[in-house]
Amino acid sequence: MKINSKKLIRYLLAIFVIFSLNFIIPRAMPGDPLTNLLGEDFHMTEETLQELTEQMGLDKPLHLQYIDYWGNVFRFDFGYTYHLKGPVTSVIFSRMKWTLLLVLPSIILSSIIGSLLGAFSGIKSSKKVSKMLTLTELGFYSTPTFFLSLIFLYIFSFKFGLFPTKGFYTTGSLFDILHHFFLPITIMTLFLNSRNYMIMRGSVIQEKSKLYVVYAKAKGLSENQILFRHIFKNSSLPLLTILALDFGFILTGALLIEIVFSMNGMGTLIYDALLSRDYPILYGAFMIISLMVVLANAFVDILYGIIDPRIGDGT
Amino acid sequence: MTHHIEELKKFTINKINLSLIGIFIFSVFLFVAISADIISPYGPWERFEPYSSPSSDHLLGTNDMGNDILSELFHGTRVSLIVGFGASIIATAIGILIGLSSGYYRGLVDEILMAITDISLMIPRIPLIIILAALLRPSFVIIMLLIGLLWWPNIARVVRSLTLQIRDSPFILSSKSLGFRDRHIIFSDIIPNIIYIIIPKFMLTIASAMISEASISFLGLGDPTMKSWGMMLNFAFMKGALINEMWWWYLPPGLCIVGVVFSLMIIGFALEEKDNTEEVDE
Repeated sequence: MKINSKKLIRYLLAIFVIFSLNFIIPRAMPGDPLTNLLGEDFHMTEETLQELTEQMGLDKPLHLQYIDYWGNVFRFDFGYTYHLKGPVTSVIFSRMKWTLLLVLPSIILSSIIGSLLGAFSGIKSSKKVSKMLTLTELGFYSTPTFFLSLIFLYIFSFKFGLFPTKGFYTTGSLFDILHHFFLPITIMTLFLNSRNYMIMRGSVIQEKSKLYVVYAKAKGLSENQILFRHIFKNSSLPLLTILALDFGFILTGALLIEIVFSMNGMGTLIYDALLSRDYPILYGAFMIISLMVVLANAFVDILYGIIDPRIGDGT
Repeated sequence: MTHHIEELKKFTINKINLSLIGIFIFSVFLFVAISADIISPYGPWERFEPYSSPSSDHLLGTNDMGNDILSELFHGTRVSLIVGFGASIIATAIGILIGLSSGYYRGLVDEILMAITDISLMIPRIPLIIILAALLRPSFVIIMLLIGLLWWPNIARVVRSLTLQIRDSPFILSSKSLGFRDRHIIFSDIIPNIIYIIIPKFMLTIASAMISEASISFLGLGDPTMKSWGMMLNFAFMKGALINEMWWWYLPPGLCIVGVVFSLMIIGFALEEKDNTEEVDE
């Protein structure tokens, strides 16, 4: 386990900033902080509101509230949703696993397909096939996930009735779940694949003009050998970094797909929270997604240290 | 060697064609945005028979409120492009400012600015905008500002690494030894030399800002007084355009988003790849 201390400090700082934002936003935005914290559209008597204000310490000075807030954070208490009647963390975690079930297979599939296609296209970048492929991938790159979902849902589910129109499962058997996940995972994979493809293609085009490739060629290695033994390894590192950095973006893409397919994951949770103005869920979701992004980055850093021994402490 | 040069020539010519296609598509949208008032058959808020199918009166039918969808689409072009452009201009300006300062002055300034940049990069932007938009119920100008204020870190990093690359080049050193001020060097020596990389990044940022605006509006967080393409999709989706097979309602705004973004992407990537093949990375 190698992770340099400068980066570690940055990750801790990032977490600090994100949690502080979450403290500041409800209090700094226009409107009553209590409403901003609890959400709207549910009835409460004056007394309960008064009680809640005291209970949440909103009558205390800000710096004391801030200290209390960190106390809550360390107890992993991200608030309570009055709409869904439960602690925010447990509501989010129960939905998060479904979202991850959509996101993780898509990341793996799209990384394999995208980097192979991208590498192939980067090596033969002046060939016609490569150009057509790039245009197609750019097309997917330009399509918002929710729009692609609408089209796929219409064609494959409504028109041809090949796939269910909504939800994660109806009977709960493995086949049933796969059947429900097929379209969303396909869309997510196409979307991520186009990004991975472009990144890989770009980095292979850059790598192939470097000296070590010329040397390998001079040594008599075939194009495929050079590609897989040398270029591929060096080019996959940027891909990993970008995947980690974009983890929040990737999750957002998945959330929108879920909404179109009415799947009960994080996406629909956020969507319903928006409709019912259930703000605690929004804050909780933001923080948990942020934490996942930071963790993904730290994970890639550690992985980097293993894959590329040049990167270690002190760089 | 001659073979190589010929290949390169072919390559660049193809790239130029590609970006020309992009520029053409983009110009069409730009034209629609500018002349939306003139070419729209009706006002975007004028009401007719709701839910009507495409006809000679309403080429793309009408929506649930009875608004003419084609006119909505033309006016939406304006809103979506303004948000995309505005956000990208803000993001690019901040990115250049931070990246240049960081790369040019190095040392402590660099450390601090890059720490801020790296941390900002890790904050999930759309979830943050969702919260802000839910609390603020913002106008489209605020959405544009929010996107602009959150989208700069990528540009800052690129500008910083380019500035680091050229800050010690002979022509900068000679400017320095001639006694030119930092500001003069930055504006007349550094910026002109990195602008060719910033322009494609600027294009791609417009694309990304437009997709983000569409996503936020699709969630119903858009400006209710300004119908962007994302908002149109949101309404179409909410009012069951999909189930009722009203393709003329949800397909056009979606295809417009894809069209503009695609045109910007080909321009951006064509420019970027041309550079990649010519220069060696840091």
